[in-house]
Amino acid sequence: MFPLLLFLTAVVEPPSFQLSTLQGASVQYSDLKGAKATVVAFIGIKCPVSQAYQSRMKSLFATYTAKGVAFVFVDANANESAAEIEVYATQARIPFPIYKDYNNRAADRMGTQTTPEMFLLDAAGEVRYHGAIDDATNEARVKTHGLRDALDAVLAGKDPKVKELKAFGCVLHRAKKQS
Amino acid sequence: MRAASREEAIMRLAFLLVFLSSIASAQQLLLKPVDEVSYPRLVSGFKGKVLLVDFWATWCVPCRAELPQLVKLQAKFKARGLEIVTISADEPETVNAAPKFLKSTGADALPAYVKRAKDDDKFIGALDPKWQGALPALFLYDKTGKKVQAFFGETPIARIEAAITKLL
Repeated sequence: MFPLLLFLTAVVEPPSFQLSTLQGASVQYSDLKGAKATVVAFIGIKCPVSQAYQSRMKSLFATYTAKGVAFVFVDANANESAAEIEVYATQARIPFPIYKDYNNRAADRMGTQTTPEMFLLDAAGEVRYHGAIDDATNEARVKTHGLRDALDAVLAGKDPKVKELKAFGCVLHRAKKQS
Repeated sequence: MRAASREEAIMRLAFLLVFLSSIASAQQLLLKPVDEVSYPRLVSGFKGKVLLVDFWATWCVPCRAELPQLVKLQAKFKARGLEIVTISADEPETVNAAPKFLKSTGADALPAYVKRAKDDDKFIGALDPKWQGALPALFLYDKTGKKVQAFFGETPIARIEAAITKLL
């Protein structure tokens, strides 16, 4: 509980980072965030767990975009190129843009370790929920809809009951930093 | 008539033996479940040894690549007191493929478990607060059973070996 509180209080200022479109254009997080809430979703196109959540991501995107929530899907894996992501997005009929986080600067800023890993930020930029979309890769065994419930709470002006679910999946493949 | 019954009895016996051996073989490859209660007991059972616990899954490509290298490490350092345990993080839908893969890499000789926590978040958090549950994940324990290092993500095997040799 203490590390969670520490984490949540650590990210109180609105995040500021730059991403890149798959075509190479720079885009600021401030231009992508929503008026009511924003989900920053770190995904991995080669991570089977992230792939397993694809239909749930599509569903969340469709449901909550209509309610004024912005989704920022980010691929920060150094071993997944923009070209590969583009092919994957086309084949999987992904309805949302995926941004590339070169040198995982956004992931470092947010403290991301895993794909898939979600951050729900309110209008003020405060992280209100962090972690997995829900508690089971197999949708039939889901008991806690962490992100969905948190979205409903934040949109209703309430505090999410569950503020974190461990973001199980694949370790984020970070770029090798020059030391 | 008697010869026919003898033949029939032999056939039945042969069938029984094949059946029993297939059961025995299947049981040898069964992964034992481990949860938040049994994990500390598992670790303390290796006191006096350096223990490396490998959390892996059949869907995790880097984990699959790492396992044969861990098998080699175990062979290299077993006499000096290294023990490696594998814990599959596969869910019930994919865990059936785990024993076959372990066998194909020679890792079936290592004690093999499957993570079946009652509360996954608590299990993961208790094991290491820095761990999110993502794979690959390796945890290294010294001979007193104290966790001394964790490796998350793809890790050069030389780095793991260096950490092990310091403890042996």
